[in-house]
Amino acid sequence: MKLIKRTYLHTFIWLLPVIIIGSVYCFYMIRFIIYEETDEYLTYEMERLVDYYNQNKNLPEFHKVADIIEGVKYETPVFKDTHILEPGDNELVPHRELYFSIVHKEKYFTIVLRHLLPGNDDILEGTLIIIVGLLLLITAILFFMLNHISGKIWAPFYKTLQRLKKYRINENPPTFPASGIDEFNTLNDTVNSLLSKISHDYARTKEFNENASHELQTHLAIIRANAGKLLNEPGSGPNNIKTAQEIQNAAIKLSRSQKSLLLLSKIGNLEFNKSEEVNLKALLQQVLLLFDEAVGIRGINVSVIAEECTREMDPGLADIFLTNLIKNAVKHNVQNGFISISLTPSCLVIENSGLPFIGNPDIMLERFVVGVQGNSGIGLSIVKQICNLYQYSISYQVVNQSTHRITIHL
Amino acid sequence: MKLLIVEDNLALLESISDSLTAENFLCEKAQDYFTALEKINLYNYSLIIVDINLPDGSGLGLIKSMKKLNTETGIIVVSARNSLGNKLEGLELGADDYITKPFDMAELVARVKALLRRRNFAGSNNVEINDITIKTDSREVFVQQTKIELTKSEYDILLFLIANKGRVITRESLAEHIWGDNMDLADSFDFIYSHIKNLRKKIAAAGAFDPIKAVYGIGYKIEMQ
Repeated sequence: MKLIKRTYLHTFIWLLPVIIIGSVYCFYMIRFIIYEETDEYLTYEMERLVDYYNQNKNLPEFHKVADIIEGVKYETPVFKDTHILEPGDNELVPHRELYFSIVHKEKYFTIVLRHLLPGNDDILEGTLIIIVGLLLLITAILFFMLNHISGKIWAPFYKTLQRLKKYRINENPPTFPASGIDEFNTLNDTVNSLLSKISHDYARTKEFNENASHELQTHLAIIRANAGKLLNEPGSGPNNIKTAQEIQNAAIKLSRSQKSLLLLSKIGNLEFNKSEEVNLKALLQQVLLLFDEAVGIRGINVSVIAEECTREMDPGLADIFLTNLIKNAVKHNVQNGFISISLTPSCLVIENSGLPFIGNPDIMLERFVVGVQGNSGIGLSIVKQICNLYQYSISYQVVNQSTHRITIHL
Repeated sequence: MKLLIVEDNLALLESISDSLTAENFLCEKAQDYFTALEKINLYNYSLIIVDINLPDGSGLGLIKSMKKLNTETGIIVVSARNSLGNKLEGLELGADDYITKPFDMAELVARVKALLRRRNFAGSNNVEINDITIKTDSREVFVQQTKIELTKSEYDILLFLIANKGRVITRESLAEHIWGDNMDLADSFDFIYSHIKNLRKKIAAAGAFDPIKAVYGIGYKIEMQ
């Protein structure tokens, strides 16, 4: 959820009790004021009538007396609430009454003054109208206020976020502008030092890789050259030749491992960052051609069902990806085995016959799982690394003990 | 035929030079950019082998200068960085071939010979051994006047062995030459064996002397009659 949305949500949740308490308060306040005003009015009327009576010993011609009760005496005026049936709409309507007594011809008369009161429903209606109006006003003001505040106060934060999002590991770390807010400055400083550390480490790893591979490769070339020379030395006996061959083989194997490891770390370092539309179907057919001979010699039956499938990938990596997959299927196959490949726009499945395998097939995707033929298992870990890079999911299954299946959701 | 080898590592430079001298090429050596630049300005070479990473400059710069001076000279780029970028840049600048370290001398010798053939320095595109003639421009093999049909791998094996005639070529080197990284060594011996067997059969069937000598447990060698 966005920061601003979350802010709105929290603000409005806090507004809820304000509304409820406010409504109750408003309701009783209105009622209190109405009673006060009605009582005041009735009191004035009573005073007028009493004054008039004292002067004229009679009631005025126009008065609002609701009832006169003979022979009942109230020492002090008394207010009462009552409900009276309104015949017009056949409804009980609340009224406020004031009872007070006067002495007329030595007899007590209680005079009742009466005034209409608004019903609770009317007060509630009024309350709601006031609250809704206020609520609309407050909401509008809060909305603009929060929008403005978050836009202004959080601006440096969003700027930092945007620059971080755009940042790629192989670029120089971005600079974050200073803001007047301490917390954001601290954030920027922390991110800055983290980024420069990361970028420094990245550059060092890359440099180390390059230097190490350069040194290794040059000296491996020397080892191979000299082993080759020993092989052809006229005086070399069979033992020396054998030794020279072993040296040469080890050098060849080391060259290959070194190349693969360098490739792995390059993929991990995101050094393959070209992005092009790669037609995987066409590429698959090209790659299969490379293995035609090996497939023919081992009598492997290859069946391919491929639909058009294109992906945004680095073309070099796409090639490495498919080559390693097919190579794996050919290499770990058996004489007269099979490979079946199915490519759909969203899924690549490669099945091949192989040696029986019992155990957890997931380890096949791990680096340095040494196979029966002494290979380092680096091919599939390169595939896995590429899958990680492009967020493809890969799984390795063994069906019926000897059918190996790799499924990749592209 | 005069070659110039530019490589900063002295041991490797000597090895390359020895291997090519053994093939009767006249080799000159340069260990750094400026020596190499001076040499290409002074002399004419049929072919130069350039390492990209030199202590005082880039081999790519040498290729540029070479192309300005003499377009006839063949150029083979050697690089430790097996980055695709360097490879493409080298080839775009006019290098004819590209080989990554570490390589076998047999591979380099074969590449040098192939490039010299393409550039016609050898006078002919044909490679001959005993009574076998290989027409490299059409990839055809003849025994006397009879053409023998070889598969692509058989042809590549034969040409590679002949380019290194008299030298023992291990099965590993052969496999690497033919399939590059696409084949694992453990697998490839059977393939090599069956290819050689077929190759010998075809040569023998055409009535020629079989020049391929097996060096037991190691590899193969071409012998002259």
